[in-house]
Amino acid sequence: IPDSGHKYYLQFTIEDYRSGENAGSCLATVLYPKTKSAPVVNIKCLHTKDQKQIQDEDNRLYQHIRHQTKPIIGNNIPDSYGNIEPALEPVWALAVAGSSYIMWEKSTENLGYSMAQVKSVKQWIRKDDFIEFDYTVLLHEVPTQEIISCHMRLTWLPGHPMKVKYFCASETQEIEDGSGMEPGSAAGILYGRGANF
Amino acid sequence: QLDFWLSPRGIGYPVDVRVPFPSLQSVKVHLEANGISYSIMIEDVQTLVDEERTDMLHARRRALFSASTFDYAAYHTLAEIYDFMDVLVAENPNLVSKLEIGRSTENRPLYVLKFSRGGTNRPAIWIDTGIHSREWVTQASGVWFARKIVLDHENDEGLSSILDEMDIFLEIVTNPDGFAYTQSQNRMWRKTRSKRSGSLCVGVDPNRNWDAGFGGSGSSSSSCSDTYRGPYANSEPEVKAIVDFVNNHGNIKAFISIHSYSQLLLYPYGYTKTPTPDDAELHELSGRAVAALSSLYGTKFQYGSIYKTIYPASGSTVDWTYDQGIKYSFTFELRDTGRYGFLLPAKQIIPTAEETWLALKVIMEHARDHPY
Repeated sequence: IPDSGHKYYLQFTIEDYRSGENAGSCLATVLYPKTKSAPVVNIKCLHTKDQKQIQDEDNRLYQHIRHQTKPIIGNNIPDSYGNIEPALEPVWALAVAGSSYIMWEKSTENLGYSMAQVKSVKQWIRKDDFIEFDYTVLLHEVPTQEIISCHMRLTWLPGHPMKVKYFCASETQEIEDGSGMEPGSAAGILYGRGANF
Repeated sequence: QLDFWLSPRGIGYPVDVRVPFPSLQSVKVHLEANGISYSIMIEDVQTLVDEERTDMLHARRRALFSASTFDYAAYHTLAEIYDFMDVLVAENPNLVSKLEIGRSTENRPLYVLKFSRGGTNRPAIWIDTGIHSREWVTQASGVWFARKIVLDHENDEGLSSILDEMDIFLEIVTNPDGFAYTQSQNRMWRKTRSKRSGSLCVGVDPNRNWDAGFGGSGSSSSSCSDTYRGPYANSEPEVKAIVDFVNNHGNIKAFISIHSYSQLLLYPYGYTKTPTPDDAELHELSGRAVAALSSLYGTKFQYGSIYKTIYPASGSTVDWTYDQGIKYSFTFELRDTGRYGFLLPAKQIIPTAEETWLALKVIMEHARDHPY
């Protein structure tokens, strides 16, 4: 749109991330302003699941996590072979939800994301009813193909919007030893390691 | 009862001795009473012996397996895949041979399987998998394709008629250094493992290193980037080996490079928006290949030129092969579309390979039926 930006018209179906079943469809417009400020989004969806169904599933997920006797911890979900331990699947599902918020904020007209892996997760037990998790998630960025590591703090109680706090750093390439580079030097500072300066 | 592994030589020289368990206490007492210092090198020799026996058993088991007992529904190590290739050749010497087309940066052999019924320098089809090491479903599919060709080459009409006239070359682990690295250090590694003085980071994106629009937008000039093009085209031995092979062969008619993920079938160009002169034919052929793929499990693929369908990419494999005159140049992006991404569960290996094979057959049959 001359002097304004680029506007996209989208029609798409949605599916339940955990089961794969169809969950409805949406119509949306996304306007990316020329000024590169945040896009303007209009979206309307038809959900095949009713509110009660969604609430019930949320509660089941919540109860499952609350009934664990020890704080949940995990690494590499899925593992290298694509396996997700059944006990950790709810925690992965929460990570997907939390990461989608990060990806929503980070994506641009030219940069998109998928959640590649939960590198680590640790549950923080709270005195109130909220459940809280500390995650390191890896995001796959296109078209750059980079793997971005994000630290994510997620807090949730069914019926409340999920709270997500995050910080992402490009995992690009730890400076590796013995590849003909000067040790220490600007490299460490550039990639945020050993910041004792 | 004492078993000297390093015998007494003289004063001031150490002695190594294996002490049977019943004698342990008395030996200790004797040494200490005489002020002889000692240290324990191996706590329990039996444990070591047992471990070694297990290792050797595994090695023998590996060497004894046949292509029919290999687990195609699992991800394998580089060693296991290389063993598989040898087994396949040994079991099918009249159809399959193994060529070494070069060596990787870390000196791993680059192997290509040749499926041929004879003839000299017949028109050929090339398929490669695993050029990006983290895309594990591709190497696993390559293994499955190799077995499929061997199983079907006589009784499947389409495949048999292809092999009557053409050879098939299959490079299963196109980036072995990267693959080894994904198993030992970083499951998300994509590039090669080349190191250069002056470069801050390791590795080059082998799908940006080809001499087609090299250096254009759609690749990075930073060594730390996952789309780093390299210092110059063909700088990577993994790429150069294929370039040399293609040039020396001179009669390759279809070239298919396999990646994951995104579920796409792509053809040139990636380095320019301009369509190739063969755009219409490639588009139609892609449509049929994708339809065949979908027919098995309903997996949906999109198709089109690299530039328009995925994103601009310069220095990519099939842009170069196309510009060399290999009209039927295609890139696949296999399952899935992001839910598991690179970490595709092993139980999806065989369905992925099966559906992809149907698309490959459409392309190969078309190449057979449209000689040029």
